[in-house]
Amino acid sequence: MIQHMELAGGKVVPVEGREGDIQVYLDPTDVERRHLVDTLKIDEHTLSSALDPDELARLEFEPDHLAMILKRPRNYSSEDQFVFKVASAGIFLYSDRLVIVLTEDVPLFQGKLFTKLTTLKDVALRIVYMSIAHFVEHLKVINAVSDSLEQQINTSMQNKYLLNLFSLEKSLVYYLNGINSNAKLIERLKLNAAKIGFSPENIEFIDDAIIENQQCYEQAEIYSNILASMMDARVSIVSNNLNWLMKTLTIITICIMTPTLVVSIFSMNVPFPGTDHPAAFWFILALALSSIGLVRLVWRWKRW
Amino acid sequence: MVTSEEKNDPPATTGARTVVVTHRTGLHARPCLAIVNTARKFRSKAQIQSGAKKANAGEILEILCLGAEGGTEVTLTATGPDANEALDALVRLFETNFGFDD
Repeated sequence: MIQHMELAGGKVVPVEGREGDIQVYLDPTDVERRHLVDTLKIDEHTLSSALDPDELARLEFEPDHLAMILKRPRNYSSEDQFVFKVASAGIFLYSDRLVIVLTEDVPLFQGKLFTKLTTLKDVALRIVYMSIAHFVEHLKVINAVSDSLEQQINTSMQNKYLLNLFSLEKSLVYYLNGINSNAKLIERLKLNAAKIGFSPENIEFIDDAIIENQQCYEQAEIYSNILASMMDARVSIVSNNLNWLMKTLTIITICIMTPTLVVSIFSMNVPFPGTDHPAAFWFILALALSSIGLVRLVWRWKRW
Repeated sequence: MVTSEEKNDPPATTGARTVVVTHRTGLHARPCLAIVNTARKFRSKAQIQSGAKKANAGEILEILCLGAEGGTEVTLTATGPDANEALDALVRLFETNFGFDD
């Protein structure tokens, strides 16, 4: 699917019925891919990289355009089971147009970030910045999910919450890799600022993006370290919860077993003294019940 | 024992509203966090129902599992002393696209 847009009044607005300066290709079809390769002269390998979630971020100079492969957080779906993944995006900056290639529908050009835009370079840089902001927000979500999972683990013995924590740990590895990869891209953008033709304002914006990305990386690293270090403690808590349950079940079993033993002894088919006594039943019952008390006393004496 | 705070509480009420998820990509990670942060500001217990699935609005693990896509109609319910305020805030959140347009 292709969305055509253009710059108007400092904002990106959709255009209908004609080609816009800004073209967003969402999960391009084979026909659209051929158009990108044949007409817009995008390198086929670079285009494949833009659609490959495992590809690293990079910057490439082509004869008539600049190709950026950017990492961004993938939209979370309920089927992901707490695995937050990353996706790639391609930004192809020409002198007269900006082509963006994405694998999934992402609300682009939203918020204050996409105001006061004057050139296509501004738009391209803001998409890079938006990706960093997107990572930061997803990190907050991961932190909130991690907190909730820890609360669940404190009162549960189910493995699923621990497995979910492992999924979060894996997600943070993906994110760290993606953010680190984006850092290389932004650094190269700054190094080649003159060659690309960035204005002083653009360079200032890139500097902000570098700082923001660095902070994002550090935040992801901290969350990852905390999660990794707390994992062993969480495993012990689950194990301890299970031990408590086993102890409770054992108490219940012994409380039932000892009176059963007493009653079983008196149920043997041999003559017992006092069998004919009118209070024999009540005596055996009292003995059975007092055996529970005896077990309890031993339990407390041994401090089990 | 009834505390002085409880004595001054307005009586618990229950309300329900129906909203449509206007965000194109549905209730994914960031909108879920916005809902949780809003729901936790109130003492009432808010819930979101999408189809047959129901989730506590203050619990991110539950909302993330709702899987409500863009255009889905969801029902918000709240029970507690500030149920109407909680519902107003949640409805406003849905109507303002979870604050992403700001």
